[in-house]
Amino acid sequence: MNILSQLNSPFMYLVCGGIVAFVAVLCLVFLVRAYRAGKAIGMDTGRMKQAVVSSAAFALLPSVGILLGVIALSGSLGTPWPWLRLSVIGALHYETQVAQAAAEQVGMENLSASEMTPEGFATIALLMSVCIMWGMVLSVFFNKGYLKKLGAGGGKSSGGGFGDRAMSAMFVGLVSAYIGSYIGEFVSGEGVLSFAGDWIPLATAVVSGVVMAVFLYFGEKKGMAWLESFSIAGSMLAGMAAAVVLGQL
Amino acid sequence: MNEQEKSAYFQRYNNRTHVIGRVSSVMVLVMLVGAPFLIGAYLGAMPDLNAAAKAFLSVGLVWTVSSVAEFLIYTPMLGAGGGYLAFITGNLINMKIPCAMNARDMVGAKTGTAENEIISTLSIAASSLVTIVVLALGVLLLVPLQPILQSEALQPAFANVVPALFGAMAYKYFRGNLNIAALPLVLMSALFILAPSLTGSTSFMIIPSGAIAILLAYRSYRKGGRQG
Repeated sequence: MNILSQLNSPFMYLVCGGIVAFVAVLCLVFLVRAYRAGKAIGMDTGRMKQAVVSSAAFALLPSVGILLGVIALSGSLGTPWPWLRLSVIGALHYETQVAQAAAEQVGMENLSASEMTPEGFATIALLMSVCIMWGMVLSVFFNKGYLKKLGAGGGKSSGGGFGDRAMSAMFVGLVSAYIGSYIGEFVSGEGVLSFAGDWIPLATAVVSGVVMAVFLYFGEKKGMAWLESFSIAGSMLAGMAAAVVLGQL
Repeated sequence: MNEQEKSAYFQRYNNRTHVIGRVSSVMVLVMLVGAPFLIGAYLGAMPDLNAAAKAFLSVGLVWTVSSVAEFLIYTPMLGAGGGYLAFITGNLINMKIPCAMNARDMVGAKTGTAENEIISTLSIAASSLVTIVVLALGVLLLVPLQPILQSEALQPAFANVVPALFGAMAYKYFRGNLNIAALPLVLMSALFILAPSLTGSTSFMIIPSGAIAILLAYRSYRKGGRQG
């Protein structure tokens, strides 16, 4: 049996699928507990359902993007391990980079099935797990104390204040960094101020933003509030479709 | 339930969330670190710990620092339940954080409230389940799906999932916060234009960009407070 057949064997699916199933059950436990608690403290169940539906719709397209990451890595690591990695803690931009670095340390030139050995795979798999686990480790030790120090989650019902604005501002900063990177990629991607870089990400973001404006207009001004749950997913779909069209130019 | 009972109930819920979150995180950690050794036993070769340590020093330290920053920045946004679950399921920047922010704003929940804790947990759990189901279906249908998903024509769409996400979020968040968004956007754009190599480190540039936005928000908050 060659290495790729071993990495795609039923045993691998059993190990990786078992962990994925455990995490799926965890998600269900958290979901049901939160819903019940919200209901018990008098939250509007319609609003909670709206949060669930909009989050599910939101996650659909990025999930298909993540699936592509599984496919991209499956050629060298088999399918079960990338499936596990991208379902649990993994991040699309992280996995390939760490897998490549680990492959180099075990003497492989490239991350490929032709160079893969059992020891190489076990080492790469270990590193992929260890490098990204620190958020979870920190949560175990500090989540409770950190939130207590910030005064969050204490059951306040009014909220607001600067903490709320700070969170929104942090998110505005996050989005600004990404939009700025698309502008920089276009303007200087092929040399500073050359205006010859990749413009598709910027155009995709613009189209997606314009479609979001349309969604919000109909949702807020035309009384079609139900559109709100699908505004992000719809805008993303339009942006991605624009990328396909613009990519042909 | 009166307000006092609600508060006591929520406190119990929150304490239990921390217990479940901690226990489940430790269990997932053990499974994830244990799996390579279990698979190694099956393949007949254990991980090379020396090579793993070297590789950790070359790339792992960067991700460790990034994890610390992510924990400090995103935990207050996500709350207890959402925080534990998001760090277990991953894909924070490209999915969980925007998803939770969107749900929170849609419902009008404020940071630090019981509503925010509940909505954030519902959002992270629902989005994580969708990812798990999509990936499971994708793996199940890998053979027929692969040619479609990897077709040349569709590549620009999947290569631009994140720009599509942040374009939509930018409109939604910038329109009501132009006084906060303008400066970080201009500064970040200028920085990426003058130092294009930084585009590979965008996730790290979130820290200065967010810090500037928070400073501007604080100034606006103080100004509003004085006027009020």
